[in-house]
Amino acid sequence: MLDTFEILTTSGVVLWSRSFSHVNPAIINNFIADVFIEEKAAAAGVKDTKSAANNPAYKADQHTLRWSFSKELGVIFVAVYRSLLHLSWVDKLVDNLKTIFVDLYGEQLQKPNTTVVRCEKFDDYFDQQLRELESKATTKAAQPGGTAFIDEESISGNLGDEPPLPPGLKHRNKVHDGAQDRPSTAESTPVATPNQSRPSTPGGNHLVVGKTGPMGKVSRRARKMQINSSATASSGDEGPGRKGKKAPKKGRKWDADGFADEDDGVQLDYSVTGKSATSDSEAEATGRSTVVEEIDSATWGSKTSKGQFVLRDLDDEVHGILSSAQSKNSDNAPTGIVNTGLSSINSLFRNIVGGKTLTKEDLAKPMDGMEKHLIEKNVAREAAVRLREGVEKELLGVKTGSFESIDTRIKKAMEASLTKMLTPTSSLDLLREIDAVTRPSTLSGRKPRPFVMSIVGVNGVGKSTNLSKICFFLLQNKYKVLIAAGDTFRSGAVEQLKVHVRNLKELTEREGGQVDIFEKGYGGDAASVAKDAVKEAANEGYDVVLIDTAGRRHNDQRLMSSLEKFAKFAQPDKILMVGEALVGSDSVAQARNFNSSFGPGRNLDGFIISKCDTVGDMVGTLVSIVHATNVPVLFVGVGQHYSDIRNFSVRWAVEKLLST
Amino acid sequence: MEGLKNTLEYLLTPSAPIFIVGALIVLLVPILVHFFVVRTTPYTTLPTILLVGPSGAGKTSLLTLVERGDKTVPTHTSQTPQPVELTVSAGGAVQSFRETAKEDAPGMHKKFLLMDTPGHGKLRKFAMDRVNTQDSLKGIMFVLDAAALDENLPATGSYLYDVLLALQKRMGAGKTSRGPSSIHVLIAANKSDLFTALPVSLVKSNLEAELGRIRKSKSKGLLDSGVGADDVGNEESDNWLGTYGAEKFSFSQMREFDLEVDIVGGSVLEGKVDKWWKWISARV
Repeated sequence: MLDTFEILTTSGVVLWSRSFSHVNPAIINNFIADVFIEEKAAAAGVKDTKSAANNPAYKADQHTLRWSFSKELGVIFVAVYRSLLHLSWVDKLVDNLKTIFVDLYGEQLQKPNTTVVRCEKFDDYFDQQLRELESKATTKAAQPGGTAFIDEESISGNLGDEPPLPPGLKHRNKVHDGAQDRPSTAESTPVATPNQSRPSTPGGNHLVVGKTGPMGKVSRRARKMQINSSATASSGDEGPGRKGKKAPKKGRKWDADGFADEDDGVQLDYSVTGKSATSDSEAEATGRSTVVEEIDSATWGSKTSKGQFVLRDLDDEVHGILSSAQSKNSDNAPTGIVNTGLSSINSLFRNIVGGKTLTKEDLAKPMDGMEKHLIEKNVAREAAVRLREGVEKELLGVKTGSFESIDTRIKKAMEASLTKMLTPTSSLDLLREIDAVTRPSTLSGRKPRPFVMSIVGVNGVGKSTNLSKICFFLLQNKYKVLIAAGDTFRSGAVEQLKVHVRNLKELTEREGGQVDIFEKGYGGDAASVAKDAVKEAANEGYDVVLIDTAGRRHNDQRLMSSLEKFAKFAQPDKILMVGEALVGSDSVAQARNFNSSFGPGRNLDGFIISKCDTVGDMVGTLVSIVHATNVPVLFVGVGQHYSDIRNFSVRWAVEKLLST
Repeated sequence: MEGLKNTLEYLLTPSAPIFIVGALIVLLVPILVHFFVVRTTPYTTLPTILLVGPSGAGKTSLLTLVERGDKTVPTHTSQTPQPVELTVSAGGAVQSFRETAKEDAPGMHKKFLLMDTPGHGKLRKFAMDRVNTQDSLKGIMFVLDAAALDENLPATGSYLYDVLLALQKRMGAGKTSRGPSSIHVLIAANKSDLFTALPVSLVKSNLEAELGRIRKSKSKGLLDSGVGADDVGNEESDNWLGTYGAEKFSFSQMREFDLEVDIVGGSVLEGKVDKWWKWISARV
């Protein structure tokens, strides 16, 4: 069973929701943060207006979320259900409701400067869809119990029966009209109808209605409907044209329901084409109107037959909306030559003046240029493609501003996209974090302990150099620092650190910094050296422990596996990876492999990008690694001296990346 | 061919109708272009109040409350800014925002935009851009969760620091004799209905202490990349929030930069937003 269905805008307002059992709102909040803001999962598909089936389900805390997103209106549709249940029809529900909602309330949503959308009536539509899809699912579920042959037939018969089903459904809906006994009989209807009403002959429809009738009213009404249908096109649901379509529908629908949910739309499509042409166009015409109007226009001929019509028409209307949307999707009718000529002149004009609605063709060429530009800036191809796709999807269907060319618009969007990507989720202030650990407030009840920071990376990227740069910065702020020589492998590594420590001591002696080295020589286990260093620091009252590690190739499993043990032994508060700005597309793999090498639940905390002074504007590595890991960049190295380390500024990076 | 030649000759020979048509084209085209451009650009000169604050503080809830007047709607994490047009009436003797927000309330009516911004760390650019550029900005409401301030103090503090520093720089940036109009800041301590909510005075002292800590560690921190070696010296005092060199930070120091900071408690869920509303009506 579904737990919650919510319709919310990108500005965070819940427009409509239906809750069957309590769901922690944090689940949906996390879903938004992960999928839409941080773009952790399936980065490429997020901005697309795809169906729910193509959007990967988001799983969290025993719940599964299926969702769909309408980009132009900025509306998200989310269905939440327990992960234990396998509700295959949920994505269909999300899709259908999205189509209906967008169709009915699209205009209201486009109004500026308000968050109020009147959609109380949507309850009915939701009930109708939920019932329809659920009953379909139950009949399907009931099927495997019986013998194969007859069942196959009964199912297909049942499916063919869909049009007569609405009378039954409508009955359940009668709750609205206040009839008390109806719901109980309705409960049995979905199960009963498939078995009883199996039309083996095309003419079986009359028979079906007769049989279904534990309630005489239905059959009478339905019969009336049929008589009506032959006369008026508006209720052509049960018309003969429908029956002709039955045969192809059987085959397709079964296939589709079993496996690809998306094809379900095809079935609905058939129901449209089944209708006569007039009813189709009518459905389109009334699609935008509200419910009440729809009823008026569709039932003016037979108003005598009580309120039941309201719900009957709801079914029709829903199908009408769905099918018109389907047909709209399918036809991209090419316009006449005059039309294209005019539109091309128009588009030329708008190119200059602005106010042009961007299409894929408009974007293709400038986007190619932008992608090339990014790659020239040393952004890995993978990251450039992701950025390009994100921007492209964001801009499709967007109108350019006055006197704004496509290029400037793209540049603007790319700037926003890059800024969003590079901006860290929470603020990164190293000094405050160290203070929080070494001098915790008395209220928090934590014991003061040294802040442990370790540095990893590939060979020769500048781990030791950056470690000593950070050490210099900490010493200037009067911290007591212990450097642990965790590189027990490379010849001269310990001596190198010793030289650094000697230099740093000399440089900061006057300012009151204090730094020492902890080393156990070569050949030992780096993890236990680190552990001992932390213990020693705690005993001796050091504020910060900086652990140097041996450089390792990121795709060598043997070397990388020792990092997990290292993270477990040393328990670093921060693990920073040094990446050099010079590296090209390998940066993506480096960042990924290091990020996943510390065992479950532990990731990198940040990057230091070294040698930024050697690449000039080509700082694309920054983008590549953030793209690969979603881990922020903390520092950039900009020179050879101890003081040549800088906080990472997003604006600076974006400016460099977009400069020509 | 002959026809074309004749037409061309007719068009190029000076005559009254040609002059009239030509004059009309010359006069009308710019006017039409003007209207076309004006129509496509939105009309935004309404005074704006900006809602900022960390995620989960209740910005969007507050927005829906003042828009609907009687109830809030459930909300989730925002991703895009959302302006809402509201009316405030001044001069009447009414107290509750529900009455002043009504269309038929006594007194003067004024329209303004209340702009909600996303509070998620990655999306603060929306808010900061508006702080830096918008001329029609009349006030900033910094909404925070008074019930969970202990846990969120670092995050809340650093956001508030960024906002205040941006405002301070904005005041200093005006090179013309007429400085930019002053922007007042209201710190709205939301969720006073909860048991764990801190009283306003404690919120204030906690925030001041936190801002002081941030200010100190920023001054000792590393330079941002992209800052050249030559402009290091004068940056120092520019990036110091409040009175330069002062030991402790307090909100009253912001007066130096024509920034008035008030802290008022309230609760969106209980509808206790009258004081905030009053502050808003004083601004627009």
